[in-house]
Amino acid sequence: MNLSDYQNEFDNLISKQSYSAVSQPSRKDTFSKFLDSGLPTRKWENWRHTDLSFLNKNNFRITEPGDASGGSIDVSNYKIANTFTVIIINGHYLTINSDLPKELTVSTNSNGENWTPKNKKDTPFELLNASLSDSTITITTEPNASIQKPIHILFLCTGNDDLMINPQVNIDISHSSSATIIEQYVSNTSSFFQNTSVFASIEKNASLNHVRIHSNSDQTANISGLHVTQSDDSTYNYFQLVDGGALQRSDIYTDLKGKNATCYLSGLALLDKKQHSATYIISDHIMPNCVSSQNFKSVLNGSASGVFNGRTIVREDSQKTDSKQSNKNLLLSDQALMNSNPQLEIYADDVKCAHGSTTGALDKEALFYMQSRGINKKEATSLLIRGFVSELINDIKNEDVKDYLFEKFDNWLLNNNQ
Amino acid sequence: MLEVKNLHVEVEGKQILNGIDLNVKPGEMHAIMGLNGSGKSTLSNAITGRENYSVTKGDIIYKNESIVEMEPNERALAGIFMSFQYPTVIPGVNNTYFLRAAVNAKRKYNKQKEYDAASFLKFVKSKLKEVEMDSKYLKRAVNEGFSGGEKKRNEMLQLLCLEPELAIMDETDSGLDIDALKIISKGINNYKNKDRSFLVITHYQRLLKYIEPDVVHVLIDGKIIKSGGKELALELEEKGYSWLES
Ligand SMILES: Nc1ncnc2c1ncn2[C@@H]1O[C@H](COP(=O)(O)OP(=O)(O)OP(=O)(O)O)[C@@H](O)[C@H]1O
Ligand SMILES: [Mg+2]
Repeated sequence: MNLSDYQNEFDNLISKQSYSAVSQPSRKDTFSKFLDSGLPTRKWENWRHTDLSFLNKNNFRITEPGDASGGSIDVSNYKIANTFTVIIINGHYLTINSDLPKELTVSTNSNGENWTPKNKKDTPFELLNASLSDSTITITTEPNASIQKPIHILFLCTGNDDLMINPQVNIDISHSSSATIIEQYVSNTSSFFQNTSVFASIEKNASLNHVRIHSNSDQTANISGLHVTQSDDSTYNYFQLVDGGALQRSDIYTDLKGKNATCYLSGLALLDKKQHSATYIISDHIMPNCVSSQNFKSVLNGSASGVFNGRTIVREDSQKTDSKQSNKNLLLSDQALMNSNPQLEIYADDVKCAHGSTTGALDKEALFYMQSRGINKKEATSLLIRGFVSELINDIKNEDVKDYLFEKFDNWLLNNNQ
Repeated sequence: MLEVKNLHVEVEGKQILNGIDLNVKPGEMHAIMGLNGSGKSTLSNAITGRENYSVTKGDIIYKNESIVEMEPNERALAGIFMSFQYPTVIPGVNNTYFLRAAVNAKRKYNKQKEYDAASFLKFVKSKLKEVEMDSKYLKRAVNEGFSGGEKKRNEMLQLLCLEPELAIMDETDSGLDIDALKIISKGINNYKNKDRSFLVITHYQRLLKYIEPDVVHVLIDGKIIKSGGKELALELEEKGYSWLES
């Protein structure tokens, strides 16, 4: 899809008055900014390693509120035990299948009134999301509420049309409250482009456990911007699993705007065939005494490729920062490719920072050691890969979510260790 | 049990073993001594089937069959075990889980019922006692953070669990304190019987004080240049290797 394809789609939606009148001027304004910036190419520093050919060669129709088809959609495959489930079909809020706790509000808006986000980075896809989004979902916790049961938001793309979907999610964790939110992206066999923007704000002394699962079909691209703002004494735990999709790109921005805040980011990509997954992070330490870590791993099979580009900025006033970055990648085939680039930018002097990156094939010594104990090569390989990923998954605090992630890993392994 | 015939082995294009002959009968214990770099570990690796250790000439016969074409795990299932000179660390793989996978592979091969987690724990507890090893080592990743001596004990534990018929001990005694040396020796002596054979590689006569080899071989430059009784070990301890080399 090129610029004029996007332009045609946008003009069509405007002329059909798909969006509320009040939002139209800002949409037009934002869209013209998008046109000015243009689509990223390999010449852009931040897009140098991201393979966008899937988006360039496919065309998508942009969703309208009517695309939320009801019907009977079987979501039982995606059930995670002991969670509240919120289902969003083709970007549009459909149903909440269980009673939400009263300390939690989920509000949705599907005509695009409430769409102006707080903290937007003017990247082309975020501009597209801002101008095209026709639905938002906002999750707010009450102050002091401790919500144990995770909220599982299932973004499901389905139907026969090739759609571009622009969901927006706002998460507000009020002061001294805590919650676990799981975002999961799945799609059936058609081709989709999900372009998502998520904004999380974690207030003083609050905590958010955030899990994101990208399990789209081979025909789907997912580009998502995640913006997190943290206040004093807040905690943010993020884990992402990518085990599907043709193209998956996450841009994660965490702003540590309060003192004594903690921000742990981690992720696992399980890739094969021609899949591409890129994770770009900017962790910005603005205030003193904060702790941050980035711990990302990938297992790449076939001719899959991946990017880890983690940047941690420690600003002048953020003394006593403790920051770690680690990226480890396992290549199961000679055609697989990983581009790893952890970066630290430090402007304060009293800080503790470390970073490291390794990329390599399975350890032959370890394989031989196991085989010499009677374990066959296939099983030894499984044990090694499981050992590699389990460190990350074991860190997930919720047992049901952990089990679900291991189940997904086992499925992936079944297809990738034959 | 094991017959090594005129064995020539190349590692990465380099000829290391130049015609080794060995004949280890059931119930026998053979010791191999020799200078650093003479090829002792290469011989162990060739017998256990490590990748890139190619047999260019000669044969390895185990229980009357050539094993040179067999995968390492097939050799292990057939009853060959090597205690590694440098045991491998496997991050992320839990020691109990690994050991159970190995024991179950063997039990499956023997058409025995595989252990579940609980029954395996009972089984392994008794073995731990024999090597006087704390069960906390089972909770860690395989050999991760183990001291040199702890790794060797872990090798011995694996041996006891897997019950091989031919055990190759590649410098299992190196780096052990006196107490550990006694425990390992006792383990070997208790384990040995008329159907089980040992090939013990060592630099030290002190090990041979605790265990009694039937034959001692001297390996130099990829060849066995002398074999004898256990008194040969004493002689080596006294005179070194130079008198043999001329
Ligand atoms: N993978 C390899 N690549 C190249 N050379 C090798 C390799 N493995 C072994 N060698 C060489 O083969 C020779 C014999 O090594 P080996 O490990 O068998 O000696 P060793 O008798 O066990 O010595 P030590 O007593 O020090 O354990 C050495 O010169 C060693 O450098
Ligand atoms: Mg050696």
